[in-house]
Amino acid sequence: MKKFTSLLLSLWAAILLISCNPDGNEVPLGEFEKGGILIMNEGAFGANDGEVSFYEFAQESARPNIFEAANNRPFAGLLQDLVEHNGHIYLVANTGKVEVVNAGDFKSVGAVEGLDISRSAIVTNNKLYISDWGPYDANFNSPDSYIAVVENVKGDPIATKIPVESRPEGLFAVNNQLLVASSATRKLSVINLNQDTVSRTLDITGRPSFFFESGNNLFLYAHDASNVYFHEINKSNITISRTITVNLSRATSNFALGTDNSIYIITSTGWPDYNDAVAKVNLSNGSVSNPEFFKGSGFYGIGYRNSAREIYIADNNGFQGNGSVIVVNESGQEVKTFTAGRGPSGFKFRE
Amino acid sequence: MKKALIIASLWISFPLLGKADFRMHLGDTLELNVVEVKGPDLEKYAAGQQLLRLQEKDLQDFRGDALTEVLQRRTGLFLRQHGPGMLASLTMRGTSAGHNAVFWNGLPINSPSLGQADFSILPTAAIDQVDIHLGSSGALYGTDAIGGAVHLGTRQLFNQGHRLEVGSVLGSFGRWDRSLAYSYSNQAFSTKTRAYRQHSRNDFPFRNLSRINTPIERMPNGEVTQQGFLQDLAWNISIRQQLHVAIWYNEADRQIIPIIGSNTQDQQQDRNLRAMLDYLHFEGKNTWNVKAGIVFDELIFNIAAVNKTQQYFLSGELDRNWNDRQSSRTGFRLTQIDGQLDTYEAQEQRWELYHSQKILPSPHLTLTANLRQFVYDGNWAPFTPSIGGDWNFLRTANQKLSLGFAAARSFKVPTLNDRFWNPGGNPDLLPEDSYSSEISLQQELTTNGFAIKQHLTLYRMWVDNWIIWLPRGNIWSPENIRSVINSGLEYRAQVEKKMGANHWSFTGIYNWVQAINQTNSSANDQSKGNQLPYTPEHKVMGTLDWQRNSWSAFLSSHWVSERFVATDNQLSVAPYELVDIGFRYQFNFLNTKKLNAGFHINNLLDKEYHIMRLRPMPGRNYQFNCTITL
Repeated sequence: MKKFTSLLLSLWAAILLISCNPDGNEVPLGEFEKGGILIMNEGAFGANDGEVSFYEFAQESARPNIFEAANNRPFAGLLQDLVEHNGHIYLVANTGKVEVVNAGDFKSVGAVEGLDISRSAIVTNNKLYISDWGPYDANFNSPDSYIAVVENVKGDPIATKIPVESRPEGLFAVNNQLLVASSATRKLSVINLNQDTVSRTLDITGRPSFFFESGNNLFLYAHDASNVYFHEINKSNITISRTITVNLSRATSNFALGTDNSIYIITSTGWPDYNDAVAKVNLSNGSVSNPEFFKGSGFYGIGYRNSAREIYIADNNGFQGNGSVIVVNESGQEVKTFTAGRGPSGFKFRE
Repeated sequence: MKKALIIASLWISFPLLGKADFRMHLGDTLELNVVEVKGPDLEKYAAGQQLLRLQEKDLQDFRGDALTEVLQRRTGLFLRQHGPGMLASLTMRGTSAGHNAVFWNGLPINSPSLGQADFSILPTAAIDQVDIHLGSSGALYGTDAIGGAVHLGTRQLFNQGHRLEVGSVLGSFGRWDRSLAYSYSNQAFSTKTRAYRQHSRNDFPFRNLSRINTPIERMPNGEVTQQGFLQDLAWNISIRQQLHVAIWYNEADRQIIPIIGSNTQDQQQDRNLRAMLDYLHFEGKNTWNVKAGIVFDELIFNIAAVNKTQQYFLSGELDRNWNDRQSSRTGFRLTQIDGQLDTYEAQEQRWELYHSQKILPSPHLTLTANLRQFVYDGNWAPFTPSIGGDWNFLRTANQKLSLGFAAARSFKVPTLNDRFWNPGGNPDLLPEDSYSSEISLQQELTTNGFAIKQHLTLYRMWVDNWIIWLPRGNIWSPENIRSVINSGLEYRAQVEKKMGANHWSFTGIYNWVQAINQTNSSANDQSKGNQLPYTPEHKVMGTLDWQRNSWSAFLSSHWVSERFVATDNQLSVAPYELVDIGFRYQFNFLNTKKLNAGFHINNLLDKEYHIMRLRPMPGRNYQFNCTITL
């Protein structure tokens, strides 16, 4: 009887630990896929000390440098983006590489090298697409920006580079098309994935950065010195169906989608005053609920934890050492802080 | 012959010859056996502090190297070195890179825009002597000398006739250095001309930690070429007057080794012109000195970013030996700085007045006091006094024991970049300000044929208004935020023994440094109470030298403890130990002609190491050097 009880308990535990992946295969969740937050730490300029921390809800502290711990070598790059697809995590370094690791244990499975200033990545059509600014010219402009195409989603040499408008950032795949937001030229490029060529480009108001979905609607976030723009994109014909203009000055490209159509956006007065804040904005009508929902300095990234309705704000602590994470509730009150890595800049919640 | 007898005041020292090379009479005059160009006596008003002197013998194993290697491998000092031949900045007593003053023949050569010197472009080929003043010495030297000072000098002798020296170094990773020196001197006039060219492909193997399986690769972007010339001229104008002129031009063309994980292909050119004119007038108890000089620096980064500064100096001082027990030095220095930097232009005038006093209350007690006021562009830097003393409390036939103490205030004026960099420069910055104190014990002992010298120093320093650059949005800007307490210990032992024809000597050094940050730069910063980045707590160095007739050899090793990467002390670079070995042979021919040949193996144990994180250093490497003196 005792043995039977143990068996039942084990089965129950196993069921709890199993989730369905998008392919429908059931695999147990790895240690970095549940019970915590993956924190992207960009690293300090010139130090190549970007890494990933894993904040464990149970321990209420972050495990540092999980890439190095899993692979016995440093990440050795500046971490620009962290993208998950089908059991893999793509660590996009703006120092010229993408590391591919298992989402569960962060063990390396491959890499893409020979990049320049990579910004983001996406897997679609069983290929890996990486947005890259390309090398700087003598005036630190980026005239040779591209999307790198890699045939093997576990990493391989670059098969081809698709030239795109200057400084591509966020990517979104829809209907066999890849949408590319280029911040320098303020364009949205549409790449036909059958031919891996740019089929057309659209002008965008504001400096576009990233795509996001709210409900079934696709938006492109853009901003300039005075306003934030939510450009809604018609997925069927890739046009800007409407633009919600938010009268919010000094916004950055850092934002997080909350519940109830709220969006939290980091604003910064910049030098010399240097006052940062988190503004709360209503996506449905573009109104600013609170321009200074939370104030401080050194705000470098933001995330929203749906289950707890909490806002996670990354503080770079002046890059003097590791950064911190400030957890704020929906009333704008600080709940707690904890230490992350160098230059924390983004979150991936693993409930 | 009369000119060979130089009458000089006690102001003068003979640093290049060592104390054994001159005879000092107790009066106001002294007589030289060998006449040479004189420099200021650095020790005279620095009682209680240690000056470490590296001379030709110490530099001979580093032919063709930069000063970086000498200091890193033969002293207790630590240099933050970004790779072989790359930027190397000195940290003394746990202070930052710009907290030490660097002089060449008495001219301050720290870059006024960067506030520091790159020791990798100070080649030993142009230096005959290095004096390292350990400890705070702002009252003696002016700005920057918070942790100490480094004095580089050339040696100029009279009455030596003609001399030609040709040297070459061949080494691993495509290294080939060449040097040529010609000198001529009679009793009244002396000239020395030297030229050098150093080249290294610098493509040493390293482990690429950023790639899967961490393959061993060749360094792709590290080629270094450095060349320059140096002209020394000196005249004994009369028995009371001497003139010394020196001109040094050095240029370095470097590919900048990228940090592991980056594929940058940066390049940097540095051009430095330094020239000085030194006039000495001896008059009874007084020695007058007038010095004029220029230091032109040009740094070009990736062709487009051109940074130029010009410094013009004029200084004068009077050193007077009032009697056997008292002397003083009073002087001024005017500096005009012009800068045409990549993002701004700036000018600055500096003037400084100083006074030093030395008193010997008893033959065994020396006390010194120094005062200096420095003004830059109408801003008064902290008034800097210092005091020091040496008490020789035990003197027997075979042993001498002395106790030293010193206390000093020092400062560093904000650099031009700190104040004017566009955008971000902060014109309201205050000078960095420090107080320090130290005590030391020195022993000289001869026993059983061993000649032993030991020196132990304990120090503590408080540095306030420490400037750090912080991000203010996309722009970084400097602020007087940090305050640091530095404390530590320096121990140095030298043991010499002659056994028949074999001459053995051993130098051992241990430095312990705690540089503890006292402030947080922001609300969530966790820097307080931690060791400063890239400041190893421990460094141990030992060198064993052996000489027998024409043969000599050395075995040298140093160990450096872990270095934290940032102020929160979370990430560190592993400790490392290096062993170097070398052999030399000197062959004399045609009476006065000499051939020196040497073979060195550096990093004998082929250790993989980084001085700074992800900045690899070479494994085992070899070099052969040969110098012919005609």
